[in-house]
Amino acid sequence: MPDTQKPHDAISAAWVKLARMTEHRVYLDHAATTPLDERVLEAMLPYLSGRRGNPSSLHASGAAAREAVEGARETVAALVGAASGEIIFTGGGTEADNLALLGTARASESARKRHLVVSAVEHAAVRETARYLESSGWEVTHIGVEADGLVDPEELVAALRPDTVIAAVMWANNEVGTVQHVEELAKVCAERGVLFHADAVQAAGRVTIDAGCVPVSTLALSGHKLYGPQGVGAFYVRDGVAFESMVFGGGQERGIRSGTENVAGIVGLGAAAHLAREELDARVRHETRLRDRIIGGATALPGVRLNGHPEERLSNSVHLTVEGVEAEGLVLFLDALGYEVGSGSACASGGHKASPVLLAMGQDEREAFSAIRITTGKDNAAEEIEDFLEAFSTAVTQLRELSPLQIT
Amino acid sequence: MPETYRPEVIDHLVRPRNVGDLGEPVGVGESGDAACGDIARFSVEIEDNVLRDVRYKVYGCAACIAAGSALSELVRGKTLLDAARVSKEDARDALGGPLPAGKEHALTLVLDALHKAFEDHWNRAAGNMLVEGYGGAEADDGKTVVAAMSGGVDSAVTALLLKEAGYQVATVTFRLHDGERGSRSCCSPDTVLFARDTAHRMGLPHFTLNLKDLFQKRVMRDFVGSYEKGRTPNPCVACNAHVKFHAAAFLADGLGFHHVATGHYARVADGAEGPALARAKDAAKDQTYVLWPIPQKLLARTVFPLGDYEKPEVRRIAEERGLAVAYTPESQDICFIPDGNYRKFVRKKVAAEPGEVVDGSGNVLGRHAGVVDFTVGQRRGIGVSAPAPLYVTEIRPRSKQVVVGRRKDLEVHEVHVRDMNWFLAPEEARAVQVRYNGSPVPCEVEELEDGGWIARLAQPVMGVAPGQSAVFYSEDGERVVAGGVVARRGS
Repeated sequence: MPDTQKPHDAISAAWVKLARMTEHRVYLDHAATTPLDERVLEAMLPYLSGRRGNPSSLHASGAAAREAVEGARETVAALVGAASGEIIFTGGGTEADNLALLGTARASESARKRHLVVSAVEHAAVRETARYLESSGWEVTHIGVEADGLVDPEELVAALRPDTVIAAVMWANNEVGTVQHVEELAKVCAERGVLFHADAVQAAGRVTIDAGCVPVSTLALSGHKLYGPQGVGAFYVRDGVAFESMVFGGGQERGIRSGTENVAGIVGLGAAAHLAREELDARVRHETRLRDRIIGGATALPGVRLNGHPEERLSNSVHLTVEGVEAEGLVLFLDALGYEVGSGSACASGGHKASPVLLAMGQDEREAFSAIRITTGKDNAAEEIEDFLEAFSTAVTQLRELSPLQIT
Repeated sequence: MPETYRPEVIDHLVRPRNVGDLGEPVGVGESGDAACGDIARFSVEIEDNVLRDVRYKVYGCAACIAAGSALSELVRGKTLLDAARVSKEDARDALGGPLPAGKEHALTLVLDALHKAFEDHWNRAAGNMLVEGYGGAEADDGKTVVAAMSGGVDSAVTALLLKEAGYQVATVTFRLHDGERGSRSCCSPDTVLFARDTAHRMGLPHFTLNLKDLFQKRVMRDFVGSYEKGRTPNPCVACNAHVKFHAAAFLADGLGFHHVATGHYARVADGAEGPALARAKDAAKDQTYVLWPIPQKLLARTVFPLGDYEKPEVRRIAEERGLAVAYTPESQDICFIPDGNYRKFVRKKVAAEPGEVVDGSGNVLGRHAGVVDFTVGQRRGIGVSAPAPLYVTEIRPRSKQVVVGRRKDLEVHEVHVRDMNWFLAPEEARAVQVRYNGSPVPCEVEELEDGGWIARLAQPVMGVAPGQSAVFYSEDGERVVAGGVVARRGS
């Protein structure tokens, strides 16, 4: 006999609800990109319409553009506790990671010093740059992480060698949200004369970053992760750290990153950095409340567990393994109900490969394919989270009705 | 190919149809893709060859979930024949068109799970019949045929020719053994998928039958046992005697179909008392030597469409009709030993016991590692040096002796044959063939008191090995009078 009609009824009900919700979409994928803050847009608008001028030009328009860029440089520097001269603008976070790593690596390498240490949970922007260096004669040591995603400083120390030039550990992980003990990691490197790069793309605007206290050599930032525009980023390079240019041309950005500046984008990044610094505490408080509500509600369901460190995590990040369900279907199901979340890391989900981050944390492939990422933002409302949890429960229950696997 | 899913896919994801399992008695099939970890399970309830109910479960990506749902909708309520005709393309159309890149495997996965449920249905219906060997009940006459498909060009063209000749065709692929994945050995899992695709492209229903137990019992065990007994087995003969045609007839009866067909090169001729097996038009491809054990009652409902074609014509037909099988290589000798090393295969199954190599007078010439390593007529690997080449002339498994001699010692003038399968009267036998690629030798036959037969040869032949087939042909050399198994070489 046919077993149950129940799931179908429940799904129909969900479908009806969907019809009501098509207008109202709840965005919970802020780790992928954040919406552009209206105040940031306003700051940018003059540079997108009407105003003209190349910052390199001598005339008034050029000077105004130069002034806008330098103003942005100051606010970005302030966000990470740097001097404005230590900030280089780029075309995004990936480029920032690439240039920061390659520029310092090339400037400090010698025939005898070509060793790089990277963590196993780095973003592809760092991982692939390390792979490139490896292909050009460098040795690369990958250091693992604990099950919660944390790098053990002792393991980092053990990986350092007399010929180590740089170590790279991201400030906060883009997938599982674990925030590293960067201060300690950077210190052990500084004490040994090893450069330290931190990818702070996810951390900036959510974690206090002070390059004055934390001895990082380089930091990477991205505009669209902190309510700024896409296509603009920056990196910090500590004053005195040797750097070799990788982009050649008109000598803009101290010759490190040639090319006419993306003035509107840089102004947007500056405005976003300014707001992030001003509102950091309020945002973190708000996001943490929403985050913890999601963690509590979601993990109350059987077979749903939190990945990453339970406390030392980004204020907005929830990363869940949902047993018996593949993430893709769950993400699309939630999407159909009006809730936008991520499956693993956005890049990994495109290629249908298990996330290297989750594998490094000791999970198996099936677990890795059952992981979804829910990242809240400053503009999410508490009621949205309650609605989301209801939709999540519906989606999980119904996809599990479909699953031939047993839920433990 | 689209980058994202169509609304049809999302609809099936959010409102999946026919979710669940069914209680007994049903057919259940599961298919899993190790590469991406997806699993699909179908349960079918079949009554009077109609798919009364179908349920499915899927663990996997959205494409798999939606494809399972769409497929369940397509087949529910259909006759089994129509359901078995539903293809990947049909499921794709039901989902609004092509799936995003890399997601097409979902269609293969759910279709395979459904077909495994059909397979389970048939195997349940057969019970022990497909293990013991099906007797072959008679179905109603009609222009209906079950065509066996191995995935190769011959069987594909067979099905096509039957369809074009106006038959109602159902195709079937047999799972005979756990072939190596990725190999194109007949009956391997990939071959089943390939055969199904080929059938579906012709618009034909396709079924799979699991005959592994029967094949193990009647073919593989006998294959190994023969070597232990010092005999030279012919597994294709054993398969045709007990497995392939009986299983096809079982399915035909289950579907209410009359005929069975294979892609063998042979013909069926009229005889005085029912049909007789006859040589194919393409003499080089003729397979009557391995088809002789088909019981006459089964032969009466058998069709060999390729019997009237030359092999190049068959390839041309496949090319003209755009069958993807047209370029597949010829199948190998023994389907369950893809690397062809049957000695290694036998050695894995039986422990070899060392023994003596002796000459015809009983003088010990050397030692050997086991009689299973030898066949009558073998020259290489005897391990005894002699001024002239030595051949294995006899194997004595009980005393573990391998007898060797000169080439002329292999000559025989008489052959003892047992387990005869008759198509025509004994007096019509004029010649006997004792090797697959051998020529028939004129002979006279006579029945022995023990029920066996003796063939007295007009000229001596070389290397007659016990266990091989002896097939007797009529005066015109075309019709098979009878076939049997060589019991021992005579003088």
